[in-house]
Amino acid sequence: MLREVPLGVRLAMLLGAATSVHGCAPVAPYERGRLAHPTMQLEDMANPAEAHVNAVHEGATGGSIGASSGCGCN
Amino acid sequence: MRLQLIGAVTVVALVARADPAEADASTSPPAPKQSSVVASASGEMAVYADTDHITVVTPTATATVGDRLSAWTVRGQYLVDAISAASVDIVSTASQRWQEVRQAGSVQGTYKPGSFGIGASAAISSEPDYLSLAGGANLSWDFFHKSHTFFVGVAHAHDTIGRSGTPFDVYSQALNSETVNAGITLTLNRSTVLSFVDEVGIERGDQSKPYRYVPMFGADVAPTIGKGESIDVVNERRLQVRPLEHLPESRERYSLTARLGYRFGRGTLRIDERLYTDTWNLHASTTEMRAYWDVSRRLMIWPRLRVHVQTPVSFWQRAYVATNGPGGTLEVPRYRTGDRELGPLESFGGGAGATFAIGRDPDPSRLALTFQLDAMSTQFLDDLYVSSRMAGLATLGLQGVFE
Repeated sequence: MLREVPLGVRLAMLLGAATSVHGCAPVAPYERGRLAHPTMQLEDMANPAEAHVNAVHEGATGGSIGASSGCGCN
Repeated sequence: MRLQLIGAVTVVALVARADPAEADASTSPPAPKQSSVVASASGEMAVYADTDHITVVTPTATATVGDRLSAWTVRGQYLVDAISAASVDIVSTASQRWQEVRQAGSVQGTYKPGSFGIGASAAISSEPDYLSLAGGANLSWDFFHKSHTFFVGVAHAHDTIGRSGTPFDVYSQALNSETVNAGITLTLNRSTVLSFVDEVGIERGDQSKPYRYVPMFGADVAPTIGKGESIDVVNERRLQVRPLEHLPESRERYSLTARLGYRFGRGTLRIDERLYTDTWNLHASTTEMRAYWDVSRRLMIWPRLRVHVQTPVSFWQRAYVATNGPGGTLEVPRYRTGDRELGPLESFGGGAGATFAIGRDPDPSRLALTFQLDAMSTQFLDDLYVSSRMAGLATLGLQGVFE
C-alpha cells in the first residue's frame, strides 16, 4: 500500500520529520507555559459546522486529526 | 473586660493570619477534597447560506468529561443539519426544492496515564437516504522528554447509500472505507510546535449519487458547450439520453498535512498546509492560516484565511459525448459525473471570530461565548450551469467548564 503513495509525499514526510527531530533540544516542563495555551494544541481548529462545510466544498480529505503537543503537563 | 476580649480576638486573628492552615485545622471542619474530574459542555448554532440557494441550519451540542489524575476523557457530540436546497442541479432535473434533516452523533474516549495513550471513537450519521457508521482507534507516545509525540490511528466506516422514500433493503449501495494515519508532533522550542500527519484512505463501493443525471452531447455539439452554460442551453442541445452518474468503485486517497503553531507575546500564529492526491487523479492543496490575539484576559479574536485549489478527476468532462454503438444504440462514457467537487476549482475563504470570557473571576474562561463569521468564494473552472458560488457561515457558541 505504501508503494502507491507518491514518492514526493513520502520524501517530504521523511525529510520534514528528520530535520525537525535533529533541529531541536528538549524543552523543560517549566518552559512550556506558552505551549499550554489552547490555541497551541495542533488539532483541527475548525468548529463542527465549519469542518463540515470544508468537507462538502472540497474534493480532498484527510489531516483533520491531531495530537497534543507533548506539553508535559502530566 | 471589653479590652481583654478585643485583645483576645486580635491575637486569634493574628495567629490565623500567620498560619491559616493550622488555624483552619483547629477551628473549621476539614475542607472538602477537591475533585480532579472536569466537565465541559457547549452548544453551538451555525447557519450556512450560498448563492446556489442552499441553506443549512446546524445546532450542535458537545459534552466532555475527564479526570486530570487518572488521565481519561470522554467526549460526546450530537448535531443536526436542517437542509433546504433548490440548487441549479436540482432545478436542471425539473425537481422541486427539497428539505432534509441529517443527524450525527459521535463519542470519543482517551486514556493517557503516562507517555503512552490510547483512544477510541465511534460515530453515526443518518439521513433519509444515507446511513454512515464509523469506528476507530489510535495510539500515541510521548518521547524525547515528552517534547515530541508520535501517533497512529486506524478507522473503518460503512456507509449505506439509498434513495429517499425507499427502504434500504429494497435499494441500497454499500461503501466501505478504511483509513490509516500516522504522524508526529514536534516541540521545536518554548514557542513553536510543528506537526506532520500522513493519511491513507481506501474506499470500496459505489458512491455514485442515485439522483444525479449527467447530460450527454453529440461529438459535434460538445465543443460548443461553454463554461457555466445555462440550463436552457444545455437542455436545448443535449441528447435525449441522460444517464445517472457512475463513479469508479475503488479509490485510494493520500494526504500529508503539516501544522505549525507559534506563540508570541499575546498571540498565536497557526498555519496548516495539506497536500492531497488520489487514484482518481485529483490533486489538491489546502492552506489555512489563523492568527489568534488575546486582546484582554476576557477577549480573544482571530482572523482566518483558507485557500483550496484542486485539479479535476481523470474522467471529468464539462460536456460528455455519447457515441453511436452497434445496433443504433448510444454508448455513454463508463465513468461520468456532475459533482462539482470532483472538477477543477479554486476556493478562497476568510473570516473572523471572537471568544468572550464571561465567567466570574478568577477564571472567567470557564464560561465563554464564541462568534465566528466566514465567507467563501468558489470558482468552478470547467462546469455546467454555474461558474462561481459565494457562501456565508455564521456560528454562535456557548461553552461552560465545571469542576
